[in-house]
Parts: sequence; C-alpha cells; structure tokens
Amino acid sequence: MLLNVEDLDVRYGPAQVLHGVSLHLNEGELVCIVGRNGAGKTTFLRTVGGFMRPASGTVKFRGERIEGLPLENVARMGIRYVYQDKRVFSELTVRENLELAAYATGHSLDEAVAKVVAIHPKMGALLDSKAKGLSGGERQILLLGRALVGDPQLLLVDEPTEGLAAIIIGEIVDILLKMKNRITMMVVEQNLSTVARLADRLYVMKEGVFSREIADKETIENPSSYEDEL
Amino acid sequence: MFGTVEKNPALTLISIALAFLIYGYATSLAKITDFMIFCIFVVAFDLLYGHMGQLSFGHMLYLGAGAYGCGMFAYHIYPDPFLSILAGVVLGAIVAALLGTLVVKTSQAAFALSNLALNEVGAYLVLSPWHKWTGGEDGLSLFFNKYGFINFGDSTFRFYFCLGSLLLVVYLVLLLVRSPYGSLLKAIKENEVRVRFLGYNTYLYKYITFIISGAIAAFAGALMSVNLSYTNTSLIAPTRNVEVIFAALMGGAGSVIGAVVGGAAFMTISNYLAVYLIRWEMFLGFALLVFVFWLRKGIWGYLGKV
Repeated sequence: MLLNVEDLDVRYGPAQVLHGVSLHLNEGELVCIVGRNGAGKTTFLRTVGGFMRPASGTVKFRGERIEGLPLENVARMGIRYVYQDKRVFSELTVRENLELAAYATGHSLDEAVAKVVAIHPKMGALLDSKAKGLSGGERQILLLGRALVGDPQLLLVDEPTEGLAAIIIGEIVDILLKMKNRITMMVVEQNLSTVARLADRLYVMKEGVFSREIADKETIENPSSYEDEL
Repeated sequence: MFGTVEKNPALTLISIALAFLIYGYATSLAKITDFMIFCIFVVAFDLLYGHMGQLSFGHMLYLGAGAYGCGMFAYHIYPDPFLSILAGVVLGAIVAALLGTLVVKTSQAAFALSNLALNEVGAYLVLSPWHKWTGGEDGLSLFFNKYGFINFGDSTFRFYFCLGSLLLVVYLVLLLVRSPYGSLLKAIKENEVRVRFLGYNTYLYKYITFIISGAIAAFAGALMSVNLSYTNTSLIAPTRNVEVIFAALMGGAGSVIGAVVGGAAFMTISNYLAVYLIRWEMFLGFALLVFVFWLRKGIWGYLGKV
C-alpha cells in the first residue's frame, strides 16, 4: 500500500471539517474523490500533501507517518501537488519553472523539458514564454508536467479541469490518462464524466466523511448511479 | 533600446561606467563617488526587497556594521585601506549571519519591523556602551596608508576605485539573479509555500541571500568610511532607512540596473534640489506618492520598455 490515511480529523479553528476520514491508495492506482463544494475534498488533499496539520489521525506514505512533516520533506519523499488555482510562477519563463523543479530533485533541465514535451508537444514552443502569458489550460499542463520532474511517487491533483473550456478538458484528461500508468494519482474532481474516464476507484465525500467507496469499474463508468449521493 | 541594455551584462556595465564617468566629470568627482557608493547600498537592499520580496526597515544596520568594521580596524588595528574594507565586509556578514537566524524566520511586517528594531539596538550600542571603540557621538577620524598611486586621500583615485567596486557588485549580483538561484528568489517572492513543496528549504536560501545582501551593504558602508575618512553614527542611523527604500522604489524594485538608476536619481534630488528648495524633502514625499500610485515599476521599469 502506497498511502494509508486513518481516522483523519481536520479543523479550521473550532469548525471540524473532516470527521475520522480513512482512505488507502495502492501503487499504480488512480483514485478520484468526488463531492459537492464544501464537502472537504480539497481540505483532505491538502492535509495529505502536508499543507495542513490534522487535529488527529495518521497519514502514512510507504508505511511512514508524514502528517506534520515540513512541506519540503513531504515533497522530497516524492509526493507532488497540482493546485486547483493553476498558479505557476508567473514571473518566470516556462523553462525556468521547469528548471526549479529539476534542480530541486537533482535532475537536469533537459530531462524535465523532455517529460513535459512528451505529455504535450506544443509546450516545446512555449519554453521561453513568461508563464503569466499562458492560458489556463497551458498552465495546468505546465503544472502537471512540472509534477512529473524527478522521481514522483504520488501525484495529488486538485480539480484539474475546473474553469477550463470543454476542448481543453479533453486534452487534460488525455494527459492524465497518459500519466496514469506511470504514477499513482489521487484526483479531486467534480466533473463526473471526467471521473468516469479516469478513476480506478472512487470515494464519495459528503459533509467531511467518505459516504461511499466504489471499486467496481462498471459503476464508476455510470455516473448516474452515484450522482444522487453527492 | 533600454530593454536591450538590461539583457546584456557587458552593455549594462559599459552603460553604467559611461554614465558615471560623464556625470562625474560634468559635475564633481567627489560628489559622484558618494552617489556610486549609495548605489551599491541600493543594489544590496534590492536583492532582499526587489528580488526576494522581503522589505527591511533596518538595512542601515549592515551599512553601519561595514562602516564601523572598516573604521575600527583602521583606527585601532592597522590603517591599511584594503584590510579595513575587508574587515567591514566580514563584520557586516557576521552580523547578518547572526541576526539572520532570527529575522529570516519572519516575513512581511514582522520582518520589516524586527530589522528596524535591531537597527535601533545597533545604533544605540555604537553610540553609548561601545563608545570606547566606536568613538561614540564623535565617531572616528580615519587615515589610510598610501601605496604608490593607491592613495585614498586622492578624490580621483577614490572615484575610480568606487566605480570599479560598483561595476563589480553589479556584475556579481547580475550573475546571481540571472542564475537558477535568482529564479528561486523570484519564486520565493511569488509564493514561498509552493517553492517549499518543490522540495526546497526556503529558509536556507532566504538566509544565504540575507547574508549576501548584508555583506554588500557592509561593503558600501566600508567604502563610505574610506571615502569620508571618518565613521560616525549617521552611517548607522535608523531614520536613514527611508532613503534606500525610496531609491529602490524610484529606480524600479527587482532590477539591478533599476537599483543603480534609483540610487543615482535619489542622490541627485537630495544633493541638487536642496540648493534650490529649502524644504526639498517635501518634494521627495510628493515624488514618492507619484511612484507608489502611478509609477509602480519605477524609472527603469518604464525606460526598460523603451
């Protein structure tokens, strides 16, 4: 088991957002978490990523507890996070964004560029462009590509298609499918047709708890069977 | 046209050298020497503020550490100008390394104000408890050894020495900010948490940058001592922090050339406007409002696009 989360309680001050949440993730899996706005999906992902400290419960990565570890230590263990807001380092060029990720993991820039171009060849022409000039879709692709630099073990992706045009959503889903066999992923997503294409397993989150786990591929591919539960 | 200058380090250095040579010979070499030393201080400050996004209200402490390190070495130990300057830089770097362990952990208002508080403490220490070594309110009068043409008593030699020093600092800082290290500083400025999630220990990089900035500020302080032939409390006065902040904003924060342009512009206004206007500081206040509200990118920020 790559990731094992047990009895996670998370609070924002006096307000408890997650209530004893448990989840596991096997090597090579792509697990989606679905739920309405405010259900606690992003809070859960951010807690696993180390951005938030849980009030109680454990997060184990390859059997090692990681909750409360400094962010840089979590990143060095091979956990990558793709943010919902699609914010890259806007004052840097695409190349410099990749360079930062490459040096942090002790890899070469060429290797980083090759990984991004492999998932989206058009990115090769944008290497010297300032990241602030990229479209929302290009930023998302850059973030996904940057997360692949080095030797990532687990990719946490927060709402990858949110706010994107339908045609770009298709490209992002294709990229995630290409990455699927190379890296274990946990994806928070509200678009159920996207989830149906991506997920090996699915957790439905409602009011800070996982109300259902769906492992049957046929059920996952039929969103109408669980959309009422959101 | 100006944008091309910024992209080419050789052109940058030639432009700066020519500008100060023309300015120096057209006005006064002694005065422009002051300007160039101040520009070094602005470059040091802007490394922290413009490139890394940490505004300090207490950078005069490091200028003062350099000035007193240089002055005390020359006065109490041996009046060699180069060893004295080196002593100033080393003292500035040591002070930055010690205090950096505390202040670099803070950010935004806490960073700005903790630096100001430490500057106040430093100014008090040199004025009173350490007056035996620092000369207290009177400061220290300095005389430096001469070695052939190396004569710091000669204003023309000081001019060229300080011009060379400015060019060296600009070149080294340009190398730094254009390297991946510079990209890292820009990224920290934009979003430190996300830099940490790439696997970087951002505290370490901020700490190293703080020491580099402190050492360069101390270099400017040591040069001021050598240039003025004295060291006194005006070189560590906390109230003078506003000068370097203003100069950085005026030139265009986050650009090495902008820092030099801002330093020269500020010194020009403060030296020449005072001849014509009694309350010239009021003009500076109005100018600051213009830069804050309408010209956020500073003089170089706009010239660079021409």
